[in-house]
Amino acid sequence: MSEVSPRKCPWLKILLGGVALGVLVLAGLAWGMRVTDARPFCSSCHIMEQAARTHKLSPHAKLACNECHAPAALLSKLPFKAKEGARDFYMNTLGDVDLPIVAGMATKDVVNANCKACHFATNENVASMDAKPYCVDCHRSAQHMRMKPISTRMVADE
Amino acid sequence: MNSRVFYTLIRLAVVCAALGLAAGCDDVSTAELKTPVYKTGLKDSDDNKTSAFRKDFPLQAASYDRNNESTFMSKYKGSVNFMKNDDVDPLPEGYKQGAQPYLKNLWLGYPFMYEYREARGHTYAIHDILEIDRINRYGEKGGMPATCWNCKTPKMVQWIKQYGDDFWAKDFNQFRTEVTDDDSIGCATCHNAETMQLQLYSEPLKGYLKSVGKDPAKLPRSEMRSLVCAQCHVEYYFNDPGHGPTKRPVFPWKNGFTPEAIYSVYEDNGNVDMPGFKGKFADWVHPVSQTPMLKMQHPDYETWIDGPHGAAGVACADCHMPYQREEGKKMSSHWWTSPLRDPELRACRQCHADKTAAYLRGRIEYTQDKTYKQLLVAQEYSVRAHEAVRLALEYTGEKPADYDQLIIRAKEAVRKGQMFWDFVSAENSVGFHNPAKALDTLTSSITLSQDAINAALKATNYGIAPKLEGDIKQIVPPILKMSRKLQQDPEYLKTHPWFAYLKPLPKAGQMWEGNKKIQ
Repeated sequence: MSEVSPRKCPWLKILLGGVALGVLVLAGLAWGMRVTDARPFCSSCHIMEQAARTHKLSPHAKLACNECHAPAALLSKLPFKAKEGARDFYMNTLGDVDLPIVAGMATKDVVNANCKACHFATNENVASMDAKPYCVDCHRSAQHMRMKPISTRMVADE
Repeated sequence: MNSRVFYTLIRLAVVCAALGLAAGCDDVSTAELKTPVYKTGLKDSDDNKTSAFRKDFPLQAASYDRNNESTFMSKYKGSVNFMKNDDVDPLPEGYKQGAQPYLKNLWLGYPFMYEYREARGHTYAIHDILEIDRINRYGEKGGMPATCWNCKTPKMVQWIKQYGDDFWAKDFNQFRTEVTDDDSIGCATCHNAETMQLQLYSEPLKGYLKSVGKDPAKLPRSEMRSLVCAQCHVEYYFNDPGHGPTKRPVFPWKNGFTPEAIYSVYEDNGNVDMPGFKGKFADWVHPVSQTPMLKMQHPDYETWIDGPHGAAGVACADCHMPYQREEGKKMSSHWWTSPLRDPELRACRQCHADKTAAYLRGRIEYTQDKTYKQLLVAQEYSVRAHEAVRLALEYTGEKPADYDQLIIRAKEAVRKGQMFWDFVSAENSVGFHNPAKALDTLTSSITLSQDAINAALKATNYGIAPKLEGDIKQIVPPILKMSRKLQQDPEYLKTHPWFAYLKPLPKAGQMWEGNKKIQ
């Protein structure tokens, strides 16, 4: 029986190093995912200022943007974020954004699912999804206070 | 994709990611929104021609130039300057769908009977006032005070500096040669030329604000986004002698913004000398009914302020100057026109994002259809009321003991009834800015005109009743054509029964054309 100290085993070192690296990479990714879910990142593009401002003034201010605007399940969230991010990046650089900016069907559905995910208990005993397609059809100001005068929401670009 | 674009994209992505992560520390601010601040190098109130601003603000200037478009019509409004009484001729002279055929009858004896057209872009303000037949171009004098320039040009700032309150009572034509299209309503009308901050130049509006204890220079942005429009899109009158500086413009708002409150201001503040109307204000005396009349002018602000949008704080600029992106920059549209012009109704959908353009348009026309229909009804009642008083004044049969009181009552109701429909007629949204107020005001107008008819009937022991029976368009036909030129022709004045109450004008050729004297 040969006496080889575990310290001298190259395979174990590689394994441990790999695990450490994996943990670091995963931690980094998790951190990056969280940062890019949140308002400071989203509002770093000036065109999102109105949405960010009304979010910060709203009862939902402490939640991240993507708690409403991306699916909660990781397997759906990853591709959704990639797709939305790529589209927003394109529109902000090479595209031509027309005002007003209005949510598309995919976003409306994702947001609505997230309403239900957090507020399921409130609605447990009522058929609140029967009459209106979206929760915000009644809870309108949850859509970034869009019934308030423009001067409370926007200014011109420099 | 070629490699240059590819690498640019990669670099952009890296920069954005870095910036984004760095910006990840900076949250958005919820402090008061800060508007961009400029330092133009222009001097406030000296260089007030729009061309002076063009170099520094090319995007806004390009947007402003779109006001030159003059071919669009929505269902009732638009930018073709058709004659608003003409429901016979095709565009651009008439517009069957939106005309009010009795206007010349109802304004008989007042300059509005000569010419009154659909409003159009601010860029035409100078051109159109120099062309209008309301101001006399057949003599040296225009016959109208210089106050008529008040809402047409930022040159007002210079003129008021130069003449003070003596400016107003001067003759309009004295200033014709001092203006060009570059002096039309422009940048300096609403902006401080040095900083481009919103600023009020209007003497009557500043006068009103001071009277309610507000400092015109320190008003919040939310209010200024409507008040810059309220400098001009309001009802006004010119002081009678002895009631403050003669011909100075005043906004009759001290009792409020309803037609009733505005009417109450005209119950005094004037120099009418007629039994039952002593000391009241009148714009003119209608020659047919001998009634001291009131003229309403575009009370857009007064209508908007307590309507569904105005009461909720939605400003003029919210719908008429929507934010748009030009060359990647978000800026206010400076194309003041019908929001219905945009097939997408984007201005509306900044708030009504869940509605389609077709739905929103349908809701606007829902109000406008009803307002326009009742407006024409109210005007027919008003014509019948004038005719009833005319017949009562000329009645030779037996009269009751209280004939004089009944005539005064009838004239009062004619005056108020007409002021009420004119409040709606002169307003430019066909009811939309305030649907309930518009329809309520029209109902009051109809009731008042019927009161006038009743009083006139009673004053003649119902002797004139047979002459008032039947279709009003047969009894008093609408006057389609009238102008200063036509009024010089005694033969033309024989073509309508109400023309008998007008004096022919002396024969004269045109002396002014635009800003030039041609004789």
